[in-house]
Amino acid sequence: MGSFAIENLTFSYPEQTKKALDHLTMTVREGEFVALCGRSGCGKSTLLRHLKTVLTPHGTREGVILYNGRPLEEADQRAQASGIGYVLQNPDNQIVTDKVWHELAFGLESLGCDKATIRLRVAEMASFFGIQGWFMRNVTELSGGQKQLLNLASVMAMQPGVLILDEPTSQLDPIAASEFLETVKKINRELGTTILISEHRLDEIFPAADRVAVLDQGRLLCYDRPAEVGRILKEKKHDMFWALPAPIRIHAGVENRLPCPLTVRDGRQWLDELFRDKAPAQTALPAGEGTEGKAADGAAPAIEMKDVWFKYEKSAPDVIRDLNLTVQSGEWMAIVGGNGTGKTTTLNLMSRLSRPYRGKIKLHGRELSKYTDEELFHHNLGVLPQNPQALFVKKTVELDLMEMFSGRRMTAEEKRGKAREMAALTEIEDLLPMHPYDLSGGEQQRAALAKVLLLEPRLLLLDEPTKGIDGYFKRTLAGILKKLQGQGVTIVMVSHDVEFCARYADTCAMFFGGSVVSSGPTRAFFAGNSFYTTAANRMARRLFPDAVTEEEVIALCQRNL
Amino acid sequence: MLKDSFSSFHPVVNFLYFLAVILFSMFFLHPVFLGISLLCGMAYSTYLNRGKAVRFNLMMLPVLLLFAVMNPVFNHEGATILVYVNDNPVTAESIIYGFAAATMFVSVIIWFSCYNAVMTSDKFIYLFGRVIPALSLVLSMTLRLVPRFKAQARVISNAQKCIGRDVSNGGVIQRAKNGMKILLILITWALENAIDTADSMKSRGYGLKGRTSFSNYRFDRRDVLGLVVLLLLIAVVLAGAAAGENNIVYFPALVVKPFSPFSLTVYLGYAGLCLMPLIMDLWEDAKWARLQSKI
Repeated sequence: MGSFAIENLTFSYPEQTKKALDHLTMTVREGEFVALCGRSGCGKSTLLRHLKTVLTPHGTREGVILYNGRPLEEADQRAQASGIGYVLQNPDNQIVTDKVWHELAFGLESLGCDKATIRLRVAEMASFFGIQGWFMRNVTELSGGQKQLLNLASVMAMQPGVLILDEPTSQLDPIAASEFLETVKKINRELGTTILISEHRLDEIFPAADRVAVLDQGRLLCYDRPAEVGRILKEKKHDMFWALPAPIRIHAGVENRLPCPLTVRDGRQWLDELFRDKAPAQTALPAGEGTEGKAADGAAPAIEMKDVWFKYEKSAPDVIRDLNLTVQSGEWMAIVGGNGTGKTTTLNLMSRLSRPYRGKIKLHGRELSKYTDEELFHHNLGVLPQNPQALFVKKTVELDLMEMFSGRRMTAEEKRGKAREMAALTEIEDLLPMHPYDLSGGEQQRAALAKVLLLEPRLLLLDEPTKGIDGYFKRTLAGILKKLQGQGVTIVMVSHDVEFCARYADTCAMFFGGSVVSSGPTRAFFAGNSFYTTAANRMARRLFPDAVTEEEVIALCQRNL
Repeated sequence: MLKDSFSSFHPVVNFLYFLAVILFSMFFLHPVFLGISLLCGMAYSTYLNRGKAVRFNLMMLPVLLLFAVMNPVFNHEGATILVYVNDNPVTAESIIYGFAAATMFVSVIIWFSCYNAVMTSDKFIYLFGRVIPALSLVLSMTLRLVPRFKAQARVISNAQKCIGRDVSNGGVIQRAKNGMKILLILITWALENAIDTADSMKSRGYGLKGRTSFSNYRFDRRDVLGLVVLLLLIAVVLAGAAAGENNIVYFPALVVKPFSPFSLTVYLGYAGLCLMPLIMDLWEDAKWARLQSKI
């Protein structure tokens, strides 16, 4: 049992005139899989939170929400607690207890089930989700993906009729994310549970969804089948179009009358169909177009790692083994690869948080260990941590930026001026009076970046800068980084986000087993991989092996038609 | 993982056992009882923690000697004067008492190391959750939060280090300031994220009436048997204590109850109690070996 009918829902937060939800009407049918998308701050979370009374935010509200045909408020708390499952964004924050089995039982304990019932339900869920292997473990020992799976399982143990997920994969790496989404699809398919999910990663969710709702500034922009949504967004020339899966965007960019593909497989067939009678004459773009690597220009490399070995403990296995890596000055390098291959450790070595036990690291031609702290972290090296919250200290973003100058001889005006300048560069001027924790993920990221940039680094290290950020913020971030690169800053970025790397980085290096297995200019790098590459490349590589981004594929299609 | 069959008993049996043994070790200053407790404790801790325990037990020896030597320095009571040091008498009784107190101290520590290995947090939470249900959840949540805070403190410290503001950067005052700042960030972070945890709890029905407590433990026949044996042995020891078998007067001169067949029974009972887990373990090991050899 799980259906919703939302009628004319309008909501605004206290002391805010802007409506977070604006006359929203939509229905979710029993057993349906509905994906909710839209830019950060468009009201996705606000809408989802209205679907469970205990989570509903305070504010003024009009309109009706019907749950199983009756007003939601009339359903008692017990029925809501078990009937409506809710999974939040951050895997860590949702876990309450210290043991996996206890977490699974938590909801059932609250409902007052007896021991035998709990034992059975917990066992069922552990089997369904494949949790048996780590059933008795401490939750701290789990990976992020396992934690989120545990959150899902502990909600499912209460046997809800409808499952609501609010950006559940934004903190996970791509492999864990797709595993998680597969499980969600399985729940929908095999248990018939109604699913309402908000997501940034549309590549996986789009083909699976029955209907997709696009929200824009609290209003429902469209609510239709996935392929239709692609068409509508294209016609409206909406921002969200850029977040759609590659096959849809490529399809939209090419003149054709064939049905819209949703997956890479469909995309391949669509391209085959498109070029059925005439093989493409031109299969590669001329050099100089699209993304191309930057040549070294004689200056000392920004960073040079030679035969570097590292392990965390004497008896522990090597994390970094025989690593050789050179980043040229002014270059934007992306380090990609799976989990536990030593990517983040390499960044730590570059920033001297860890020191190698063998091998040499040179920064701008000088040995890294010879730098003093003062030299290293002023005008040389800036590190943007994966979790930007670890940097914020003050009540407002502006004070936080000015805090970077504490202990320096500067007037308050000078400090303010510099802070404003940096805010302009990172496009956070509007956010200066706000509390850093009240910003969205993408905004926090840029505020943290501004803070790091105030130290005027020549080399910027970024750890997963696109984690949990929507497509729009990613483009803003990329724009800022390109600006910095223009000013001569070298950028080294660790990322799981293949599409982002392919679009913006100059060179890419793939890590495996603690060292680089392949590296090169971005386009050549991705064209050389057959699995670890962009969706556009996977789709088009039979016809255009060198095309990496959607734009390149679209350009090549157009030239050949 | 621990391979100890006593650990697999119901937490009530485990807890009662340690309660009895540790209390007896603390209050019985009779040399025979002390000796039994110390040796059995060492044997069991060695079985539980292997090499680590051997080192730990050896480390206890100097402590034992130190206590024994320190007591006569401060304590001059006793009838048998051995020698005068700076006009202060050193008595045989005070040396013996020093030894006894040290043995008591060391054996209690060793028994606690066994307690730690056997009584995992799960068992503790389960036991006290039955007495005060809310407490069990609080304990469990605390155990979840402590490692999280530690991990986050490291993340913050690393992030601050990279902008030159860690506790390892700058002079003493600067370091202290940086440390405070890290603590401040940690607190803000904790409060901010606690909202999510509260949401997650509410959304899973926390606060509804009639909350139950789930556990993975079942009191089976083996537990009944274990409990009966345990209570019998405790009864024997208590009977001995009531008859004054464990009594000893150290000052002014040593007075012990004369040895009798009943004393022997009590000694054996106490040894049986202290060795109970080890006997079970060896029994199971032997049984396992026998089963394996039949295949």
